Amino acid sequence: MNCDELRDHYELYALGLAEEPESGEIRAHLGRDCLTCVPRMRRARELMSLLGAAAPPAQPPARLRQRVLAAVADQPARRWSWAPVWVAVAAAAVIAALFFNARERRADAELARVQAESATRAQELARLNEALAILNQPDARQVVFGAGAPQPPRGRVFLDPRRGVLLLASNLPPAPEGKAYEMWVIPKSGNPLPAGLFQSATDGTALHVLSGPVDVTATGAVAVTLEPAGGVPQPTSKPVIVAAL
Amino acid sequence: MLLPLLLAMELGEGDAELVRRLQRRDPRAMAELYDRYGRLVYALIVRIVRDSGIAEDLVQETFLRVWNRVRSFEAEKGALGPWLLAVARNRAIDYLRSAGGRMRHALELDETDHPALFTDVEKEILNSDRLRRVKDALDKLSASQRTVIELAYFEGMSQTEIAEHMGQPLGTVKTWARAALKSLRDEFGAVVPA
Repeated sequence: MNCDELRDHYELYALGLAEEPESGEIRAHLGRDCLTCVPRMRRARELMSLLGAAAPPAQPPARLRQRVLAAVADQPARRWSWAPVWVAVAAAAVIAALFFNARERRADAELARVQAESATRAQELARLNEALAILNQPDARQVVFGAGAPQPPRGRVFLDPRRGVLLLASNLPPAPEGKAYEMWVIPKSGNPLPAGLFQSATDGTALHVLSGPVDVTATGAVAVTLEPAGGVPQPTSKPVIVAAL
Repeated sequence: MLLPLLLAMELGEGDAELVRRLQRRDPRAMAELYDRYGRLVYALIVRIVRDSGIAEDLVQETFLRVWNRVRSFEAEKGALGPWLLAVARNRAIDYLRSAGGRMRHALELDETDHPALFTDVEKEILNSDRLRRVKDALDKLSASQRTVIELAYFEGMSQTEIAEHMGQPLGTVKTWARAALKSLRDEFGAVVPA
């Protein structure tokens, strides 16, 4: 088939609707870098991207960002010696490799899922270990907040000069969609310092650790505000927790 | 609706530098990539699988896949957003078909694994004007034509499956599909030269 006979089939192909013989013909034209078909196929792919971008909006949960980044951090290091020419060779070889790729991709997906699960558990364990380390310090400073207050939340903050800050809270309702709790270490003089984002559990409990040395004597308070899920450099809302030292 | 798109468009200038940082395995670049496109990718996948828990798994797979294959991406010429959305659709349709016990029918979907094919694709594909034009064009389609496009794009159905699903003759579905894509192509503004 010549390029003109294929002109109505590029979008069908990009959409996954093309049938034989047109589908095979387009693959063959693309495989030999056909100067007419390659740009037409690009336009068809642009249209597909626009259809995807036109999907109804949806807000991903805040934890997803952390999960994606944890999964990536768990990936083994790779060498980066691929020459750009490999790209062209790989593109030309793709048709022959498709069958085997499909199988490999399923295995990849399973592996990614297991790795992500394992990374999440390892993170949780590390966080609990950090919390225990702070609790075990005899000279850790302990501050109670919310005691006797008519409204939740209540809890304690532990500050250890070497290990960091541990926040334990209860009655802290889960953050609304697209929001997260952000902890702040507020110096006696100066602006609040961001001390990490966290979410409370469905039962309203929360545990958050800021690891690393902290200047306890220069700290005036530890506070928590409700912020956009990605975090902010300075608080933008009224604190829901203030633990004054 | 348009806010994330406008944001993505505004940030689109920095895609080339972002790709270079991803290729250097800079984890902060991955955070930036997620902040730039995560919401779009999630919205597309949720639309396809209609389950937020499964969508989270698939978003993670999408970003992992991009992380692992970005080395063959051309920083200057490649279109990061379109590639990312294509990978996302691919993962979601794959899931849908395997969960429904359906065979894969569209080998071309696998091409999203090869970012070289996204070289020279228009980078500002998330431009709000173009997006609005395509949405307008979707609105102008007849209900049957729009259904065909949606079943193909969001459900990954073949024309035969669509015909069965809609209880219509295959020939009718093919006519609707062609007419719908022609309208979209015309509205899209990139009329293919003869």
